[in-house]
Amino acid sequence: MKKFLFAFLIVAVAFSAFANGGKENAAPAAASEPVVFNYNNGTEPQSLDPAEIQGVPEHNVYMSLFEGLVTYNPETLAAEPGLAKSWEVSDDGLTWTFHLRKANWSDGTPITAQTVVDSWLRFLSPETAAVYAYLPGMIIDGAADYNAGKTGPESVAIKAVDDYTFQFKLNGPAPYALGMLSHYAFAVVPLHVIEKFGSKWTRPENIVTNGPYKLVEWQPHDKIVMEKNPSYWDAASVKLDKLVFYPIEDENTALNMYKQGDLDWIETVPDAQLDSMKLDPTYHVNAAFITYYYEFNTTKAPFDNADVRKALSMSINRQELVDKVTRGGQFPAFGLTPPLANYPAVVAFKEDAAKAKELLAKAGYPNGQGFPKTTILYNTSEGHKKIAEYVQQKWKEVLNIDVTIENQEWATYLDNRQHQNFDVARAGWQGDYVDPNTFLTDLLYSTAGNNDGRYSNPEYDKLLDKAATMPDGKARMDVLRQAEEIAIGQDMAVIPFYYYTRSNWIDTNKWGGWYTNILDVHPFKNIYKK
Amino acid sequence: METTVNNELNQHVKGVSLWQDAWRRLRKNKMAMFGLYTIIFYAVISLSAPILPIYSYKQQVLGHQFLRPSFKPAGQLIYEKKSKFLHAMAAKEGRTELTAKENQELADLKESLATEKKKLLSGEEVLVNNRVYILGTDSLGRDLLSRIIYGGQVSIMIGLIGALASMLIGVVLGALSGYIGGRFDTLMMRFVDIMYSLPYILLVIIFMAIFGRNIANLFFALAIVSWLTVARVVRGQVLSLKNSEFIEAARSSGAGTARIVFRHLIPNTSGVIIVYTTLRVPAFIMLEAFLSFLGLGVQAPFASWGVLIQDGVYAMTTYPWLLWFPAAAMTLFLFSMNFLGDGLRDALDPQSKNKL
Repeated sequence: MKKFLFAFLIVAVAFSAFANGGKENAAPAAASEPVVFNYNNGTEPQSLDPAEIQGVPEHNVYMSLFEGLVTYNPETLAAEPGLAKSWEVSDDGLTWTFHLRKANWSDGTPITAQTVVDSWLRFLSPETAAVYAYLPGMIIDGAADYNAGKTGPESVAIKAVDDYTFQFKLNGPAPYALGMLSHYAFAVVPLHVIEKFGSKWTRPENIVTNGPYKLVEWQPHDKIVMEKNPSYWDAASVKLDKLVFYPIEDENTALNMYKQGDLDWIETVPDAQLDSMKLDPTYHVNAAFITYYYEFNTTKAPFDNADVRKALSMSINRQELVDKVTRGGQFPAFGLTPPLANYPAVVAFKEDAAKAKELLAKAGYPNGQGFPKTTILYNTSEGHKKIAEYVQQKWKEVLNIDVTIENQEWATYLDNRQHQNFDVARAGWQGDYVDPNTFLTDLLYSTAGNNDGRYSNPEYDKLLDKAATMPDGKARMDVLRQAEEIAIGQDMAVIPFYYYTRSNWIDTNKWGGWYTNILDVHPFKNIYKK
Repeated sequence: METTVNNELNQHVKGVSLWQDAWRRLRKNKMAMFGLYTIIFYAVISLSAPILPIYSYKQQVLGHQFLRPSFKPAGQLIYEKKSKFLHAMAAKEGRTELTAKENQELADLKESLATEKKKLLSGEEVLVNNRVYILGTDSLGRDLLSRIIYGGQVSIMIGLIGALASMLIGVVLGALSGYIGGRFDTLMMRFVDIMYSLPYILLVIIFMAIFGRNIANLFFALAIVSWLTVARVVRGQVLSLKNSEFIEAARSSGAGTARIVFRHLIPNTSGVIIVYTTLRVPAFIMLEAFLSFLGLGVQAPFASWGVLIQDGVYAMTTYPWLLWFPAAAMTLFLFSMNFLGDGLRDALDPQSKNKL
């Protein structure tokens, strides 16, 4: 009898829980109810400190909590006034002067030009060891030397002219400099709080921010809750009362939540659901500034031989790959940089199975005979696995070489790539700013940190050095184009596969202020409920 | 020479060995026999896979992706799919009829499907759209039926070899440890304790990282970490048996350690061993599936049931057959294995000799 009672009790409790849940969900939206926007950020952010982050999920949090000198226009990505209300540039294009507005941190402490100087110096400091320190290092005079520990902070050409005027000097007329400033590598951080709490400053009870939202709650692996920041200078145009980020890694779960209305915006769906979700009325697709490619470990035979690299690249049928395997409307890539308005995509080579065989034979492997044991490395994901399996079969079909494929967890995979512990590795790169430089220099310049294949060609480096000193315009683009022809057409430093498209599912009849754009950056500041 | 004995009524009876007796009892157990026949069926299919009239398990036919299970040729399925898609698009735009352009598109598709040829990995060129996929295809247009059969080969092999290897090591070490006792037993058991305290998945991963990833190493890695429990169980059995009268009798008639262990002790623990081994087979298959998920199991283009189910989970809601069929194949095998193990236990248990 006791047992029976106990079971009954459990059932009763379970039922009451269900009933409560049902009631909550069914409650009609009251007119005064706060506007909540639920977003799946895809994973738990590494950190909230702008100096310690490097991914898109972290960037989403950064954009909501902090604001640098300028911010993104949600539609065009052009720089819009942020902390700086206006700016001017000297005639030689080197000295930039920013006039700051009188803004405060969320605890009331004023933000001055000195705060900007100190924040940037903190980011560049060799002790901070920020991954993205190379961005300011690339353009600001003296920044790279300070970051490398060669000189002191006084050598960095940034200064506070007065309390609300900030100035920096470029090391060359980098035409993309202003666009870069929205990046978190140029973040302004609350140094008075960092000093007080040290590494604990990003905890919800300590953090102080200056962006459109403020952090209310952070439950690791559950959710991040942000609320509108009333002390934000442009608070009047922030329309969301509450912003919730979920760290859901499982695409199926996220999709189900989206369908039930628990999420307002998702960016990925499981591959098998893609065809049906493309018919969904909330589907948006746009070209993205991202390239999917395979890297060669050029320090290792046979991949030190350009003929081998070309053979492997020419044997792939990219149109078939994007039509039949990835099926996201991607664009076949025959160059490294995705097309831009002033830089149409380079077509550096042609696919040609017969030529590929010939090149492989020329390199000493006729009909694939004696080709060394090769492994394709990729980070664990359904999509990457499918592409690797496709490439595996294609190389077998066309070149008669057997390769194995191997997946690794993200951190291990990155580590192995960075230490040239691979033969051929999958890679993808999203431009950090809208200029071919973000692909050509960051990925293939012989000393670039992201040049994991250790491609090196002095001629290529020389062209990039030359472009770095040129003003924006057709002449500069031509030099960059020439460099890309060398790296891909002549050397095939990597195998480009396709230029990404970005898919998003968001009901734009309900939410405004959200636009598709090439960097797939969608500032939460501008999103509002229609 | 046949030994003959007379019973208490002085009738002639034929001597029955342990195994004959067990077999007689096993045959009466319907579930166990069902399990046995199913396992034999699986074994025959797996072994004869290369000569069965099925497609290659690694042949990708792009364009034949996610075809549903059907006896119709692929071309027809693709045509139906496209037609359905166009109608759905039309409905989305509020039309009931297809436009002339779309109808033309369909006609063109039919035409091209009928004539499209493709060179396969085997070198032959075939009218590719005449292929029939009874169980459908996966995300790269590979035949699911042949992937299940070849996947079964890998999974069953891993299950059997893993279980047998762990049983051999475990039984021998466990029985010796239990029977010899003393310092040998202490050392042996402390070693087992140490092995237990190490996370075995980590051991497998380290082993595979050092010796390279291939199926043979996977077998070996699984075997060396999985004999521990068998050794413990067998040692316990032997400890309880070693002071019993029949061992005393064997010892007093001069039998050596080896003879006592292998001739008397191990057969008397066989019930436990067999049950445990048959239960280990499913465990190994599961373990392999888990390792495959971590990227340490079988690597593409090979497949195992675990890998297939893993792939199927992603497609569960839209292409459920990718999950159903591999899961059904695996479940049936695991059930059969358990039925058979259970039946064997009953059949081999000396105490239950007079039941049935």
